[in-house]
Amino acid sequence: MKQLLSTIAITALTAGAAHAQGADVPDNLEKLSNFQSTGVTEFTFIDQDDDYADQIRETLKRIEMPAGFKIELYALVPDARHMAVGPQGIVTFVGTRKDKVWAVTDRNKDRVADEVKDFAPSLTFAIPNGPCFSKDGFLYIAEQNRVLLFPAAEFFYESPDVAAFNLIAQGDLIPEEEESFNHSARVCKIGPDDKIYISLGQPFNVAPPEKLDLYNEVGIGGIIRLNRDGTDREVYTRGVRNSVGHDFHPVSGELWWTDNQVDGMGDDIPPGEINRQTAMGQNFGAPWYGGGSVRVSDFGYDEMEVPVEVVFPVSETVAHAADLGMMFYTGDMFPEEYKNAIFSAQHGSWNRTEPVGARVMVTFTGDGTLSDDDTVETIPFAEGWKDENGEYLGRPVDVAQLRDGSILVSDDLAGALYRISYEEPGAQ
Amino acid sequence: MRPILLAVLGGGLLAQGIAAAEPEIQDGLIGDPDAGRAKAGQCRTCHGLDGFARIPIAPHIGGEPEGYLRGQLTAFRDGVRVHEMMSVVAKGLSDQDIADLGAWYGAHTATASLPAALDDDAAPAACAACHGADGLGLTGDAPNLAGETSMYIDTQLKAFRSGKREHEIMSSIAADLSNDEIRALAQWYADIELTIAPPGG
Repeated sequence: MKQLLSTIAITALTAGAAHAQGADVPDNLEKLSNFQSTGVTEFTFIDQDDDYADQIRETLKRIEMPAGFKIELYALVPDARHMAVGPQGIVTFVGTRKDKVWAVTDRNKDRVADEVKDFAPSLTFAIPNGPCFSKDGFLYIAEQNRVLLFPAAEFFYESPDVAAFNLIAQGDLIPEEEESFNHSARVCKIGPDDKIYISLGQPFNVAPPEKLDLYNEVGIGGIIRLNRDGTDREVYTRGVRNSVGHDFHPVSGELWWTDNQVDGMGDDIPPGEINRQTAMGQNFGAPWYGGGSVRVSDFGYDEMEVPVEVVFPVSETVAHAADLGMMFYTGDMFPEEYKNAIFSAQHGSWNRTEPVGARVMVTFTGDGTLSDDDTVETIPFAEGWKDENGEYLGRPVDVAQLRDGSILVSDDLAGALYRISYEEPGAQ
Repeated sequence: MRPILLAVLGGGLLAQGIAAAEPEIQDGLIGDPDAGRAKAGQCRTCHGLDGFARIPIAPHIGGEPEGYLRGQLTAFRDGVRVHEMMSVVAKGLSDQDIADLGAWYGAHTATASLPAALDDDAAPAACAACHGADGLGLTGDAPNLAGETSMYIDTQLKAFRSGKREHEIMSSIAADLSNDEIRALAQWYADIELTIAPPGG
């Protein structure tokens, strides 16, 4: 174990040092990059056993799922957004749209978290929504306008001074004048090519024409990828409005991702999207298309000839449900049909007359071999986070798989993680 | 109307100041809080029915000065202030809708308490004169900042600095602030605990 640790630390130093030094470092990053103490010693711990936990357990009694599935409270995690489960299965890192990243630990492996505390408390985060892990234990956190990397975070997170480096320094992810609060919840994952993929939502409802050249160049309204040493950044995906969830098909290795579509066109259009990308550089139609094949009239986009070849969604979902985090299921716990299926979260609509969403969806993809025109269907898997008045009791954001094959669902309204497990009906 | 008056008088402001700061109130439209409550269905997913925000990107609006609420909704509707969600919802609002929504959220009462570790005297002076050391606005035109997420305040200050959002006072205050200064100011108000009480409560 010790050998592994030092190897990782040295690799990280050589990989990260060049980036860490040149940047304008506003907080403690420089010290952490040099493995120095910052003097910050206090964690914020979240009480796991209060009345609020019982209220959430009451809500979970309402959740309906296929037979054999069970949902339980895993942890109270304020503002819980996207999740990254450590390769060792000890700790799950959870991002927020505020200024904290939470470390959720299940030490005794009873599948309920024992401890929730903030990660790297000496760092000042800005919308650290998107954590992701490499298989060899590097944690990446995609923020509004920076991407940090933490070598061996799963071993070092117990200290407030965890080693940290810039993968992309503050202000280098997007031009600072393009920063916004909305549509800035980044997500990341490491692809089968060992590159890191990072989503970059564009800040508008419909991007104005004068922004498109810049956005195309930077990858705003797209997904970028780069090497894990920060080199060779390129725009992998274009024509995206605001993607907040992606994953790689376990068999085909293709990138699939969700997208949130244009508001203000009515309750029932345009459809939400899950997309399947078969090659780098493909364009998925925003802003000429508002979702699916629905054209957008803002700025006269519907009267323009679409200047690019557009890939249409592999799955159209109900309008305005806000499809966010997604993952392909590769575990052994669930029935065979769920192998390679997508579990995705619908956050729930924000201004639809009749609210829709706030549920976990499933999309069966088989072995992923589809022709270009094939589509798949996205159907409800777990729902019930809406009360009689149409008010949300929870809003699922992301889905992640634990090593035992159960899945975690994050909820940023309730501030919680849930665990969904399966036991064959009648097996007891 | 009464909660606003109380809040403003409590802040020690002269009555003339209120009138000057709240031109929208003078347009003769009287807002109906109950009608506003019904119309708040399209606000509540983000701002809460009581005006306590349910998502980080949305500000708390319960207990804001009615004139401020009206002014911002009108600005979103008319395209003077732009936000990818607010511009969409405000587009269809009538003057009466705006008056009613302002009356509903304005009729709530906001209270703020500083964490034990913070002292009034340490409040950022450039902000506290109008927004209060505890983040409760002292003038009809200054919104409450108590308990807003740091990223919300950060975003607004940067919008004033860049000119994306304009205000006769805020634009000049924000003009020379550095990113670090902005974040520190935002953190002061983010750390304050806000509670919002319903009308008549």
